[in-house]
Amino acid sequence: MNHRLTDGGQVMHVDTLARVEGEGAMHIELRDGRVIDVQLRIYEPPRFYEAFLRGRAWTEPPDITARICGICPVAYQMSACWAIEHACGVTVPEAIRLMRRLLYCGEWIESHALHVYLLHAPDFLGYDGAVDLAADHPSVVETGLRLKKAGNQVMTVVGGRSIHPVNVRVGGFHRMPRTSELSALRPVLEQALEDALATLRLVSGFDFPDMEQPHEYVALRPEVGYPIEEGRVVTSSGRGFDVRDFPLHLDEYQVPHSHALHARLDGGTRGPYVVGPLARYTLNHDRLGDLARDAAREGGLAAECRNPFRSIVVRAVELVEAVSEALRILDVWTDGAAPSVPVPPRAGEGFGASEAPRGILFHRYVLDADGVIRDAQIVPPTSQNQAGVEADLRALVEGWADLDDHALQHRCEQAIRNYDPCISCATHFLDLSVDRS
Amino acid sequence: MRAASLVLGLGRSDRGDDGVGPAVVGRIESRLPRGSGVRVLAQEDPTTLLDLWEGHDHVVLVDAVVTGDPAGTLHRFDVGADAPPLPADTLARGARAGTHAFGLATTVELGRALHRLPARVVVVGVEAGCLDLGAALSPPVAASLEAAAELVWREVASDVPGCAG
Repeated sequence: MNHRLTDGGQVMHVDTLARVEGEGAMHIELRDGRVIDVQLRIYEPPRFYEAFLRGRAWTEPPDITARICGICPVAYQMSACWAIEHACGVTVPEAIRLMRRLLYCGEWIESHALHVYLLHAPDFLGYDGAVDLAADHPSVVETGLRLKKAGNQVMTVVGGRSIHPVNVRVGGFHRMPRTSELSALRPVLEQALEDALATLRLVSGFDFPDMEQPHEYVALRPEVGYPIEEGRVVTSSGRGFDVRDFPLHLDEYQVPHSHALHARLDGGTRGPYVVGPLARYTLNHDRLGDLARDAAREGGLAAECRNPFRSIVVRAVELVEAVSEALRILDVWTDGAAPSVPVPPRAGEGFGASEAPRGILFHRYVLDADGVIRDAQIVPPTSQNQAGVEADLRALVEGWADLDDHALQHRCEQAIRNYDPCISCATHFLDLSVDRS
Repeated sequence: MRAASLVLGLGRSDRGDDGVGPAVVGRIESRLPRGSGVRVLAQEDPTTLLDLWEGHDHVVLVDAVVTGDPAGTLHRFDVGADAPPLPADTLARGARAGTHAFGLATTVELGRALHRLPARVVVVGVEAGCLDLGAALSPPVAASLEAAAELVWREVASDVPGCAG
């Protein structure tokens, strides 16, 4: 919706932002072709889950927080488990970490396939959405659906079901899947690997607007491998610190136009920071497996990627990595590992983080001696990326001021989708409004 | 009329009236005799429908909808491959209650585009009033459960042995 203002200004307002997870709004105000204001508006009761967790038992956060999002429940479960185990002074054995990584690969495959094919690719191919894309190119959409289903199947075998896995508990799993169950995934994942490579070939041929953003990148970096289920925090400004020190660097603050807290790193002196595929890739491309590294090269990616529109190529590379990694775990897995370790409660504070498909998801819990949760903090990736999204729109809209309103709105929505915002996690409900002169 | 072979409630039970789909199909499940042959599921992610309804030619979906009508109002749409087209914005108007952008309406249309839409798909929509996190069903929606279940039952029962509608 566009309004001419009495002072000659103009407002573009899009009430419902299409093809993002959840709903919200974007408001952009222009005067004489200059951007005056950009606001990502998020409306829902934002801190419900943090308040809801207080007074609950230390064993409950994996199941409770998994309910926050139907797209990335594993991310919530893993970050919650790490944080509670940290508070209780427990370290899980390698076999449990490995099974967590396999479960998480399933979520990455499912989430990235959904976003690449059903939400983002239509932007680049000139379609209004996946339905129109499917009408002209059914095999393209079927490839995406097959990949998504492969991710769901991994989550079902490891997690017990695909939407909100029930097999995860603090300390590990209720039961470990047997090799006979896991081996059924092999043909599914072998097909998924072909589909992931086909995805890369498809998306790397898209036209990408020229754009380079200077945002500070923040991602996890584990001791070995590509960051998925754990790691230390590293930044493109050369900083590195343990997850437990994240709150010392992180500053969450309220802005009047959004119910989701914004976040800045080290006081925001280096500008907005962003998390997610571009940050993960740029800070960890040396950790990709051979297939994914070759795929990145084939997809035209250099060691650093600063064009937010190329995030779809990075997601395709990460699809190759997640499928390859799942197959690698199947190769090395043997039956016999204990499904969990005891996690007796104790008074203390614990910190946990993992790489949700959209970026770092941080949890912090304070427990009393009986394991009752006294305080909880959840920092989802979409909240952290709000300032970066707004900065991208500020940079883009002035260059697109000569576009008509419909085209401008479409470009803005596409730019927002670069971050695959999960408003369901950040809160819920997003909307887009642009006001221009 | 053939009985529905799949009855599926969409929604999240911890988001107020979004949980009406699972609540309604729970009532259907408890009324079905053993061995009825009817599959009853509750699901949150509409995109899984394309796989779940594979092999079924008669499907009943129950979901919360937001059209502006009073909470608890019941809607019924035939959206299957054999049904005549709906007015252009019918489902677009009526399918905003899902918690994710890729909702029921888009999934139905995606199924149609990919020739993966069952011949008969009936959507029973219950107008939502409150979609707050942590809320229970609102009183008007809770009061409509029995009528909604009856509407679904009529789709289900006619051909199931021992389930006189």
